[in-house]
Amino acid sequence: MRLFITTLILTLTFTSCKKWLDIQPESEISDEVLYSTEEGFQEALVGVYTKCSQEQLYGKELTVGTPEVLAQNYTLTDNDKYNYLKTSKYVYTDADFINRKDQIWVGLYNAIANCNLLLANIDSKRKLFTGNNYALIKGEALALRAYLHFDLLRMFAPVTATATGIPYVTKYSKDITPMSTVGAVLDSAINDLTKAKELLTIDPILSASYVIGYPTEKDTTLNTEESSPQLFLQNRRHRLNYYAVCGTLARVYLYKNDKANALTNALEVINSHKFPWTNNSDFLAVDDDKKDRILYKELLFGWYIPTMATTYKNSFFLISTSGIHLSEYAGQSIYETGGAGADDLRYKEWLVSSSGTAGNTLNVVKYLHNTDNTADDANLHYMMAPAIRLSEMYYIAAECSNNADYLNTVRTHRGIGSPVTGDLITELVKECRKEWYAEGQIFYMYKRLNHDIINQNGGSIPASDKIFVLPLPNDEILYGGR
Amino acid sequence: MLLLKSTKSMHFNHWAKNFISRKSLCNRVSLLLVLIFVSIQTYAQVTISAKNISLDQAFDQLSNQTGYTFFYNNKDIRKLGKVDVAIKNASLETAMGQLLKGLPLNWHIVDKTVVIRATTPTHVQDTVREISGIVRNKLNEPLPRVSIRVVNEVYQTNNEGEFKLKITDEDAPISFSFIGYQSATYRVSQARNGKLNVVLDDAKIGLNEVVVNGYQEIHRDNYTGTAVVVSGERLKELSPQNVLQGLQVVDPSFKILNNNFNGSNPNSMPVINVRGSSALPTGSDGILRRDNITSSVNLPAFILDGYEVSLEKVIDLDMNRIASVTLLKDAAATAIYGSRAANGVLVITTKVPANGKLQVTYNHETNINGPDLTDYHVLNASQKLQYEQQAGVYDGVQQKVPQDALDELYYKKLMNVVGGVNTYWLSQPLRTAVGQKHGVYLQGGEEHFRYGIDLRYQTRPGVMKGSSRDQYSGGMNFSYNLSNRIKFQNELTITQVKAKESPYGSFADYVKTNPYYRMTDDEGMTIRELETWSDRNGDGGAYQYDHVLSALYNSTLSSFNNNNYAEIIDNFAAEFEVTKGLRIRGQMSLTSRQTNGDNFLSPLANQFYFYAASETDQKGSYTSNRTKETYWDGNIRLNYVKQLHDHSINLVAGANIRTELSDYASFTAVGFPNDRFTSVGFAKGYAENARPSSNIEKSRLFGDFVSTNYSYKDRYLMDATVRTDGSSKFGTDKRLAPFWSLGVGWNLHKEAWFNNTAISQLRLRFTTGLTGSVQFSPYLSRTTYTYDQTNWYSSGIGATVDNYGNKNLGWQKTRSTDLGFDLGLFNDRIFLSPRVYYKLTKDLLADISIAPSTGFSSYKENLGDMENRGIELSLRAVVVQNKEWSVNVYANLVHNTNKIVRISNSLEAYNNKVNQEQANNDKYKGVPLLRYKEGQSYDAIYAVRSLGIDPQNGKEIFVKQNGTLTYQWDARDVRVVGDATPFAQGSFGGTFHYRKFMMSVNFQTEFGGDMYNQTLVDRVENANPRYNVDSRVFAEKWKQPGDKTFYKSITDWGQTQVSSRFIQPNNVLSLQSIYCSYDLRVTKRMVRLGMTANDILRWSSVEQERGIDYPFARSITFSLQAQF
Repeated sequence: MRLFITTLILTLTFTSCKKWLDIQPESEISDEVLYSTEEGFQEALVGVYTKCSQEQLYGKELTVGTPEVLAQNYTLTDNDKYNYLKTSKYVYTDADFINRKDQIWVGLYNAIANCNLLLANIDSKRKLFTGNNYALIKGEALALRAYLHFDLLRMFAPVTATATGIPYVTKYSKDITPMSTVGAVLDSAINDLTKAKELLTIDPILSASYVIGYPTEKDTTLNTEESSPQLFLQNRRHRLNYYAVCGTLARVYLYKNDKANALTNALEVINSHKFPWTNNSDFLAVDDDKKDRILYKELLFGWYIPTMATTYKNSFFLISTSGIHLSEYAGQSIYETGGAGADDLRYKEWLVSSSGTAGNTLNVVKYLHNTDNTADDANLHYMMAPAIRLSEMYYIAAECSNNADYLNTVRTHRGIGSPVTGDLITELVKECRKEWYAEGQIFYMYKRLNHDIINQNGGSIPASDKIFVLPLPNDEILYGGR
Repeated sequence: MLLLKSTKSMHFNHWAKNFISRKSLCNRVSLLLVLIFVSIQTYAQVTISAKNISLDQAFDQLSNQTGYTFFYNNKDIRKLGKVDVAIKNASLETAMGQLLKGLPLNWHIVDKTVVIRATTPTHVQDTVREISGIVRNKLNEPLPRVSIRVVNEVYQTNNEGEFKLKITDEDAPISFSFIGYQSATYRVSQARNGKLNVVLDDAKIGLNEVVVNGYQEIHRDNYTGTAVVVSGERLKELSPQNVLQGLQVVDPSFKILNNNFNGSNPNSMPVINVRGSSALPTGSDGILRRDNITSSVNLPAFILDGYEVSLEKVIDLDMNRIASVTLLKDAAATAIYGSRAANGVLVITTKVPANGKLQVTYNHETNINGPDLTDYHVLNASQKLQYEQQAGVYDGVQQKVPQDALDELYYKKLMNVVGGVNTYWLSQPLRTAVGQKHGVYLQGGEEHFRYGIDLRYQTRPGVMKGSSRDQYSGGMNFSYNLSNRIKFQNELTITQVKAKESPYGSFADYVKTNPYYRMTDDEGMTIRELETWSDRNGDGGAYQYDHVLSALYNSTLSSFNNNNYAEIIDNFAAEFEVTKGLRIRGQMSLTSRQTNGDNFLSPLANQFYFYAASETDQKGSYTSNRTKETYWDGNIRLNYVKQLHDHSINLVAGANIRTELSDYASFTAVGFPNDRFTSVGFAKGYAENARPSSNIEKSRLFGDFVSTNYSYKDRYLMDATVRTDGSSKFGTDKRLAPFWSLGVGWNLHKEAWFNNTAISQLRLRFTTGLTGSVQFSPYLSRTTYTYDQTNWYSSGIGATVDNYGNKNLGWQKTRSTDLGFDLGLFNDRIFLSPRVYYKLTKDLLADISIAPSTGFSSYKENLGDMENRGIELSLRAVVVQNKEWSVNVYANLVHNTNKIVRISNSLEAYNNKVNQEQANNDKYKGVPLLRYKEGQSYDAIYAVRSLGIDPQNGKEIFVKQNGTLTYQWDARDVRVVGDATPFAQGSFGGTFHYRKFMMSVNFQTEFGGDMYNQTLVDRVENANPRYNVDSRVFAEKWKQPGDKTFYKSITDWGQTQVSSRFIQPNNVLSLQSIYCSYDLRVTKRMVRLGMTANDILRWSSVEQERGIDYPFARSITFSLQAQF
């Protein structure tokens, strides 16, 4: 009897105790606390972007680092300050390469886990949201998940649809997600993106009153990107907005070789006329504070990376031979300055020549950004890592409809008057390399098309999966049983 | 219980009377049983012839002749007066018949016992006497809760030390026992007018009778758990400065791990384990050096007067306030603490005030500490210069510097040497530190209200100049006793501790400074830059400079590093006695503590010497941190003590709750204008990219428990405990943790058939149970987010997930089994208690590596098993004991082996990282690092096996994993080459009393373990000739083929890599303490004078520099205790 009473008392005390034992941390934030307010969801979503804009990911490595090195866009010498020389020779056993590649894998999947945890919580907390924020946040989180998986796929898997790809992780869990085939990953990404696109039909960027312009614009009608009273709804192009999702869909469909759908999505962006071409006066402006080096208004989506400005300027792209650079010959060959590209504005604006002992070198000033906060010196735009450009929509449209006009439109805006002749794909690849210089995209194009990689001397490195498919991290193989 | 020799002992009479007169059912049954076995055999012949002898004399004679036991009641016999007998060669039965003829007595023979009883009941009624009195110690302090036994009845003194007994038997012994005191037996006859004044002597070595587990007090003879009880007095004898040091002598399985870095620094907290390590240091990120483990994962739980306290509190506790310390080791003893019990529990009880006239006790201690530099053998100035010369420091070819410059340098130094400069740098930061302690304790009051007030002032200066730990504390203790059934007690303690680190910095810097440098210049100013060595990076390469800065210079600046705390503890208890034997007690304790740390580094400090000109405004730093801690601890419990015939029950049931809150914040400011202004307001600002940090940790614990100690006839013993804990640290899916223990014991010496005069005590014990440990930070089981404050996004701040929170995270489970016996010989003059134990800790908290595609590279999980087995031996003997003098000796020996049974995959990754660091990082090349391998001990020393130096070429020969020999050191050949666990460690010593003089001597020893002699690596073989080195550098190094040497080639300047060459057997014997005391009585006032010398002598088979950053010390403490 006593035992019974004791047991009863124990049971009763413990049921009420469970709550008492549930302590929320105060100097850290537990997921339960974070997801108890709308702000929490906003912060968690923004957290994925800040995570991705880190140096190891889109902040530097995935934008101007490894993919560009692999695409032979830099002239690397024995004075190899950033240890990219072996990477450029496709030595995939090099410790520096392994370290960087593994960090990309871990970092992107961590960002995906962040998305998944947010998505796991959002539906049950739908009541918390005001306005259209539920759809906006969920849409973006789904889009981000697809975007990040797609980039992982482009790095770590072959192109063949039936080949083993990567795990497409949709659950916040410590359990291992099995590998999917490339085709399945693409389908999953398309699925997520399609859902995201539906949800994002409420995106403020779709409204006519959302006008794309420069943040320094004094005339408030020329830029309404920051006019929303809610900080969270400003600068839609710094996050995955409706058009960015369309752009990503176009990319993914094209990678899947579903040209019809790729075209539809690309045209949706083009025909919206939301994104104006950059004025030459802005691109060519002499004064720093009036200059737009990255064709800001043409960005469908880019990562906001103001903290990287110093790194780019003072070390990575330092105007000296110790910075990442390319030989004058290589630069001229990329931009075909001896031929059609004689007047290419990009060559003029993005590369500056400096003479050295071993001939002239070209330093990359595409991202040269004044870090001073004084308005006089700032550029027209924020420091960004471009992710999707309007021009890419034209390229996709050109490729999908086999119509060179789209390509020529872009070339015209870049100061190349003559229309393309010859094989469209060849010309497209050349054009993309110019447009996407130091943006981390061209390598995937070579891979998608199984195209030889054009090296610094204009020669080519034969296309091969040995080059195109980065090996999985050892930890993934070991602990994931891959 | 019926078998007794026919002596007229008190026991005999008592039992006989009990047997006959008690009408208890139980006794009748036993009588019945006994009668069945009446024997009808013929017996031996007896002869007895005497006149006018008493019957009991006659029985004595018969007993002597037959060996039979006579069983009778004295009262019945005595009143019959004397008889004449003349019996010759008769059987016992005939003799009895004749002897008792006509007397009103019946007799039977039962087995070998003759039972005699009156024919008519002679007992009218037992006369019940009431005896009251008071129990005091030698200092005349009343002792509360002394347990008193009269036959089968158990009493206790109240809080004033008073007792009241009902005695039915004039001759029954009354035994008094209390922890920390020797038991005493009194007789009713010693009472005067029904008053009995009892004085208990201080315990000799551990002769304690009661075990306090923090919730109940259990008679030791009936307890199956493994507990070591030691009085506060004894601990003070062993080490007046440190409770834990003394405890290590009393029980070597309570082990303070050697930290060769911190030496005798009064501010460093020791690392302790009980019966071996049961957890691995968490966090596999950093590389762990074998010789500098500071993790506290194996710390036992410290319970002070019923509530949990920190290690720091125990270190800072006023030793004079300690009544007793109980170390609970096995599951049966610790299970009542559930999730905190796996590493053992240390229960500390403090003294409570006694009533009576106002009494003042004054304690004084003077503590003299002297640095122990016996292990340091550095070169003097001329030897050093000679060594430099030999080592080629002035060899132009070797240094790639013009010879004339080197010659100039050499002669400059020679000038110093010849001029008499021979600075003994080692003594510069050191001193003989004299600490003091004054304690006053007032107590008094009357039956209902008593009070105690204590004040303490204690300084604990360290042997490095400027380092100290000073304590001030005051306490107020009062109790209110309402009608003896309801009691209230409140204790308030306020403590202030000021800890200062020495401004002299690390001792190692002084050890390596060359003796031919002058300390001060001609003006008497401390020289800052002693020397600038130069050499070249290759022939004609750039010059490289090595600036030698004087560590002494830092001490002349106004830098400081203080850490102070103020603490208030209030402990309130209420007790209600429901009925006799049933008590309810509730206790609530609040601890509030505020710690402030201030670390100022002067802008002139050597640390900033190399700052670039552009960083001039960044020199000087001030780090301020503060921690606020609040602990609530409450428990309520029901104690039930009952003796029912042969059944004795001591039961406790209760619940406790505890909440812990610690709030930490810290910031660092930099850029101070000069050395004079040390206030943080003079700083320029925060360091670049630095920001304040904070950490708030909260945790809660709830537990309820039932624990029973049961014995039947004092022979068959059982302890059983069940506890359920809930902790906020566990994952949400694993909130409740059940723990249990069971112990059984058998008092063989109390068995009827046990008939051995030599063995006075023989008890077998077996216990087993499951206990837990949750020494991890409170939010590990949660998924937490952090804000990325340094990187705002254009549309707001982002929060990202830090870790994968494992909702299933639980506690470590330790299953322990303990087997042993207690053997007392010759009236317990020799007492031996061996134990064997086995501890298997499962579900160690570990990082588990997972596929990074989950988003995380690892998460926390309970995975990993560790095993400890051991033997403990404890022997004590009373060599001599009489009124004038006594000699006691003791010896304890412990053997423990540790084995890692299973580890998580992330530790493999850790091992690989360690291999890499060991191979490439100069810092770790010559140092054995911690590795984890299944089947190996946690204490294993990992290195490459070495066959020594090849006489052919002076290179070290290594043995590869496959057995082949090589000159090439390879991390893959690293294996276990030794084990630091000693085969056994122990302590031994003795106590000598002569009248009021007392002396005790205590040794500690360990042997059979291995040690990696770091001094030989760092200070001999790899000694940098530009700095001072160990005198063994002159030992033979390999010079030419055929030299058989221990050290490698003299021309080999590379860093020696970790190998078995430097493993040496480690055997240590140290004289831990000598204590002498003398009690004076000056006109009724007690004065005790005492002297303790600690760490006086030490012998070790490994000659290694000890106390790298802070030297070890020897100390002598003089103490005086006076009572008015």
